[in-house]
Parts: sequence; structure tokens; C-alpha cells
Amino acid sequence: MGNEAIVMKDLCKDFKVLNRHEGLKGSIRDLFSRDYKTVSAVRNVDLTVNKGEMIGYLGPNGAGKSTTIKMMTGVLEPTSGEILVNGVVPYINRKKNCENIGVVFGQRSQLWWSLPLIESFKLLRDIYMVSEKDYQDMLELYRSLVDIEPILHKPVRQMSLGQRTLSDILAAFLHNPDIVFLDEPTIGLDVSMKAKIRSLIAGLNEQKNTTVILTTHDMGDVDALCKRIVIIDKGQKIYDNDIEHLKSYFGSYRTLRLKLDDDTWEETLIDESKTDIMEVINRADRQKKIRDIELIEISTEEVIKKIYEGEAS
Amino acid sequence: MTPRKLIALTRAGIMESLQFRLGTFVTLFANLIYLVLVYYLWKAIYASSGTDVVNGMTFNDTMIYLILATALFNFLEMFIVWDMSRSIQSGKIILDLLKPMTFRKYTFWSYSGSHVVSFVLTFIPTFVVVMIVTKGAIHMGLNLLWFAIATVLALIINFNIEMIVATICLYTESTWGINIVKETIVLLLSGASIPLAFFPDKLGTVVRYLPFRAVYDTPLSILLEKNGSDTISGLLSLFGMQLIWVVVLTIAGTLFWNHSVRKITVNGG
Amino acid sequence: MEKNKRGLGFYLRIYRKVLVQDLKSKMSYRADFVISTIGMIMTNLAGFITFLILFGKFPSINGWDYHHMLFLYAFSLIALTPVQCFFDNNWNLRFMVQSGDFIKYCFRPINVFFYFISEVFDVKGLGQLAFGVGTLVYAWNKIGLVVSVPIILKLLLYLLTASLFMIAIMNAAAATCFWIQGSGYVMVIMFRFKDFAKYPASIFSGIFRVIFTFVIPIAFVAYYPSLVLLDPGNVPLLSWISPALGILFFYLSYKFWMLGVRRYDFTGS
Repeated sequence: MGNEAIVMKDLCKDFKVLNRHEGLKGSIRDLFSRDYKTVSAVRNVDLTVNKGEMIGYLGPNGAGKSTTIKMMTGVLEPTSGEILVNGVVPYINRKKNCENIGVVFGQRSQLWWSLPLIESFKLLRDIYMVSEKDYQDMLELYRSLVDIEPILHKPVRQMSLGQRTLSDILAAFLHNPDIVFLDEPTIGLDVSMKAKIRSLIAGLNEQKNTTVILTTHDMGDVDALCKRIVIIDKGQKIYDNDIEHLKSYFGSYRTLRLKLDDDTWEETLIDESKTDIMEVINRADRQKKIRDIELIEISTEEVIKKIYEGEAS
Repeated sequence: MTPRKLIALTRAGIMESLQFRLGTFVTLFANLIYLVLVYYLWKAIYASSGTDVVNGMTFNDTMIYLILATALFNFLEMFIVWDMSRSIQSGKIILDLLKPMTFRKYTFWSYSGSHVVSFVLTFIPTFVVVMIVTKGAIHMGLNLLWFAIATVLALIINFNIEMIVATICLYTESTWGINIVKETIVLLLSGASIPLAFFPDKLGTVVRYLPFRAVYDTPLSILLEKNGSDTISGLLSLFGMQLIWVVVLTIAGTLFWNHSVRKITVNGG
Repeated sequence: MEKNKRGLGFYLRIYRKVLVQDLKSKMSYRADFVISTIGMIMTNLAGFITFLILFGKFPSINGWDYHHMLFLYAFSLIALTPVQCFFDNNWNLRFMVQSGDFIKYCFRPINVFFYFISEVFDVKGLGQLAFGVGTLVYAWNKIGLVVSVPIILKLLLYLLTASLFMIAIMNAAAATCFWIQGSGYVMVIMFRFKDFAKYPASIFSGIFRVIFTFVIPIAFVAYYPSLVLLDPGNVPLLSWISPALGILFFYLSYKFWMLGVRRYDFTGS
């Protein structure tokens, strides 16, 4: 099997959707229409993820992120191409694949709604046939990473969103899977809860060497957790490399902020390979009085934005 | 509230119903099979009874009554109780309450679109089929107009019953229980499962004064010119009964809803 | 690698645990339990009243007298209990599928159908069971059937058979939502079909007899299985083989359900 957790080769997924027409007349026409079109959600994606890696899987809405995740978890069958997860073809061997993966889908809890968390844990222990010792060890590890006592005996339905997300992540790691898929794990959470969840994920990855596939729109998650990022757009992979490489690629970009006489800040994004910063400052100074100067490194978020806009491809 | 807004809501409702295209056909088909069941059951019942006319109803009368009751049932069906309990659980109810029109009005007019669709797609075809099969057993005269009016009144009464039951959902999570009680009572006491003509005298008299019969039995009696609706006085008393219930239930429903919403908002539930 | 031994024992153990937990949490919603139970009693009462009204006017249907009909009625009620108690989550299927929440059932290394169905155990079905048993005992006495161990065993076997058919019908009806948006009405109408299970299937003729026996097998929900007890000297072949057919129908409905899961593209999210 080697060192690969996930291998995808030339993976494609098409959907057939009905061409809907606009307006009342269109609705009536659609009642009898057989006018389908094919939409490619994922196109020729190649991706290899090694064991223990944490990768950020990014892309704008509708780029094909969740379709890929659904193929990796065995829920969807690819239209063409190869996919292997832990050496198993997920859609053929769904149950076997599920033994070794954990999934968290943002705001959708997978726990038993009315049960206290600990009872959900016990059920999962039985479902995944985790031995009592492994189960207790895992709980011990959880306790060392995060304060779980306040939520352990609380029914999921009574939890706050943050507690629920935390519970879902804990549940996903409970059977010590080789790979965990996290889809928007920090969406809608406050800053301190985000930090808590990030450190929990980092801790679990470190302790258990779990491969983590993280899809998110929150660059804070990516910066805190991922060394490598993969970006897809319109179903195609457009970037796959180190996060550092990405930054160095755009390293010549800096944001220049100038505080002017009337106490307002003026921002300009400058590509140093093309423009000299001093020149810009001088030019500005000749027009208005400058009170303060700040120079900011480009954030990952802006880098990603640049890639979506097509500058790196 | 301008009529344009109301028409827009109706239009959106029509388009939404049509989205479920296969669902529409399946519903039609399922209804047909249901009617076949009803047909065989009553055929057997009449065959075993030895007489052709029971309580003033011939086999044909009963069939027409039940078939149209089923079509009417589809036409009038609302899922306000379920929608309400879902939007309470998801918290969407807050958004609905913030809409720039009263919640009752908003709900009523959002449903009007699906009413139009199901009237055209289920009631009218059913009616036409019945006309063809029975070779014109339904009298085509003024009774059609009276029927249309009675149906609109029935729709309002039904809406109010739904709304009152849905309001109860603000107090308890037991949607299933509440809904099944409502459904059972309405189906039995409105004459949708057995024509009221077959009810024993005492029970029948009581049922005749309840609002449920105004939903199914009244429009159908008027259409089929039964229950004295072929006379002016009979017709007036049926309409009078409906009107009384429209007024009573609208007032009761509005008061109950306003009171409950105020209470809920105060409690922050 | 050695984790691949999830057999019947495993599933029974998991089911028991989920059930115990579910019951525990239900006990904390007493009001809901009370209201649902009242709802359940009301539906059964309404069903019974319908039955009485019908027999008040017509003393026999297709050669079946009051007590025999009562027997069929009770038999169908008991046969409906398992679908009510154990398979109630089917009613939530279409909402889950529509919202995309259904996907969560696909991430566990266990059977999706089992995982989904095990989530809900419906206690109120037990009220119906009590009602059915009481009525069955009454009818049993009135008809003057014998009581012996083999006969009781036979009764249990054929009750189980009958419930398999009902489960199959509801499974298949629920699974339509994987293909058809807005197919909720299919379940509603199938659930109404069950009301016709309590009439002798001999009332149907021709092609519909075949349909209601083999396509929508409501004839098996009470009629064929109970003939084994009601008319031991004259049991048709279909009655004898109904247990095997029941298993077959259940299996087919399960396959259909699972096919829906495969086919469904989870675009709801």
C-alpha cells in the first residue's frame, strides 16, 4: 500500500440536470421536458495524499469540493477515473472504507440528536467495534486536549453550535480512523471556539498521525493547520503545493497603507518586482502629507483570491 | 398589502408546485388507485345490502360523492402544521414573523398557488372523468357556481382549522400527535371517508352543526344537489352555516395566533 | 482487517442499545408521549366508529358477517404495529433526502437502511397493538374459534407475515423520494390504502385483484393470512405460501430502498 492515504487519478464526476426554464410558462414546459444537460462537477483531478498529512482543500462555492469528498467517502460513484482510499475503492467497498475514515460536515450533526454525548460515543464504540481499552485511551487523550466534561452528559440538541461541532469532531476521531474529512468545521463559530477547535485538530493529528482533509473558506483554519494546500475551481485542480511556496510565489506582493493628513488610511497592493515602494511613497508624499506608513505581508486569503482570479494558472 | 404582492405569492407557489413534476403525475396515479379501492369496496357493500338506495343515496351517488371528496381532499390539503413545527425547530419562524405582512396572510397566500395547481391538475380532471363515466349524472347549472363559492368558503374554514392546530405547535413539540388528531377528526366528521348520509341519526345531527362538515360535505352536497340544497332555503342554510364558521374560526384563529405569538416572543422561545 | 464480522448478532445488539437510549430520552418528553398516545387512540377510535357506522347500515359485506369482519379488522391492526413501531423513520426520509441531511447515514461502516431505521422507535404503536389484541380476542370468541398452542403459533406466524407486507409497502413508498421530488403524497396514500386491508380481498375482481395482491399487496395485510385461521378447511394456496412471499416482498422493498441510496446524488447539500 505504501505511504499513500488517498490516490486519485484522472477523477471525473458528471451530473445530469434538467434544463429549467424561467417564468410560469417555463415551469409548465418543464413538466414534460426531457431537456437535460450534463454538468461536470469534477474534471480530471489527480491527487495523492500521504499518511499523516493535513491538507487544505480549497475552492470557491460550487467548485466541486464536496463532490470530491463524497467520492472519497464512497457516497458517490465517480463517472470515470480511479480512486483509492486506504487501498480501498470507496464506492465499491463503502462499509469497509467507512471503518477507516471519520467525517464532519460543518453544521450537520451526525450524532444522535436526543442522546447525551457519552451515549453517542458508546454507540459509536460498538458500531466501529473499538476495544474498551482503545476507547478509554481515546477519551483520555481527549481530556488532555480539551475540556470535555461539560459536554459529555449533555444531549446534543441542547448544545451550542460550538459544542456541537466539537462533539462531532471528537466523534469523528473516536475510532482512530486513518483519514478524517472536515468540511467547514469552524463555520459560524466565535474566535475562541475556532482556536480551541484548531488546536484540537492539530493535537489529534500529531498524536495519532491522522490524515486530515480540510475544506474551508476560513483561511485562519488553513494557516493554523495545513502545510499543503490544494485548490480546485470549476472542477479542476488549479494549485497543489506547499502553503509556503504559495506565499513565496506571491511574496513580492505587499500591501502599503498610508495614513494621510485627514486621518484616513489609503491601501495599495504593490508588486515589488514591478514597482518600487519608495517611489510610490514619494509620489504620494508630494501630493498629500503622510502621517504614518504600514507595510503588510500578503495574507493567504488574498493569495487564494488571486489564484481564483486566475493569476497563478 | 397590495393585490400585486398577493398575486406574486400565488405565482411563486404555482411555479414551486410544478417543480415537482414527477411528483405531480405520481400523485394523480396514486389517487386513481385509491379510487379503485373505494369503488370495489362500495360495490361490494351495495351488492350485499340487497337494495339500490340506502339513506337516499344510490351506488352512483355514493361513488360520485366519495370520488369528488377525494379530489377535494387533495385540493384542500395543507401542511401548515408540519411546516410550522419544522420552522419552529429550525428557528425559521422568526424570519417568517418578520415578513412585511401578517403571518396568517402570508401563509394563506403562499398556499394559494398550490391550491390553484391542484385544482387544475386534480379536481378538474376528476370532475371531467366523473362526468364522462356517469354520462352527465351531475347537473350542470347554477349549482356549479354555488359549489365554487362553497369551495372557497371551505378552503377558508380548512385554512383556519389548520392554523389553529398549527398554533398549538407553538406550545408543544408533539406535532405528530396533534396532526393525527386533527386529520382523524376532519376526515371522519367532514364526510370525506363516509358520506354523512350514512351516519346514524343522532350522530349525524351533531356532526351537521360542526365546522368540519362545512369543508367537504357542504360543497359536495351543493354540487350534487343533495341535503335540500336544491331549494333556496336549503342552500341558504348551508351557506349560512359555512359563513358562520368562517367568521367564528377566523376571529378565533387570529386571536389565538396573536395571543400565542406575543406570549412566545415575550418568553423568547 | 478482523473487523469484518458484523452479523445478525451485531445488528441486534446495536439495535437494542439504540432502542434503550431512545426510550430513555423519550421518557423525558412526557407531554409529547401523552399527546401522541391520545392521537393514536383517537385514530383507532375513529377507525372503529367508521367500521360501526358502515355495519350499522350494511349487516354483511361480500358474505362476511360482522364478527368475521371484526376479526379481519383486528388482524390488520396488529399487523400494522411493527411498521408503526420500528419503521416510523421512513416518514422522515423525504425531508432528510431533500435537505441533504440524509448523507450522514452513509458515513458509518454499517448497513444504511438499518442505521436509518434504527434511529426511531415509536412507542405509541403499542397502543394500537393493545386495541387490536382486545378486538381480536373478542371476535375470536364470538366466532367460536378454538384455542390451542399450534393455532396460536400459526396466528403469530401469519401476523408476522402480514406485517412484512405492510413494511414492504411503506419501504417502497418512502424510497420513491430518492427518485421523485415531492413524492410525499405516495406515502400518505399508501398509508390510506392500509385502511382497505381490513376488507376481504374477494371484493376485488379482474386485474385489480392481481394488482392488490401482487403489486400493492394489501390483500396480504389481513385477508390471505387470516384465512388460515378463519377457514382452516378451505385455505387457498396463496395463504399457505404467504410467509415466503412476505419475506420476498420485504427483501425486494429493501433492495429498492438501497438502490435509491445508490442512485441519489446528494445534491441537496
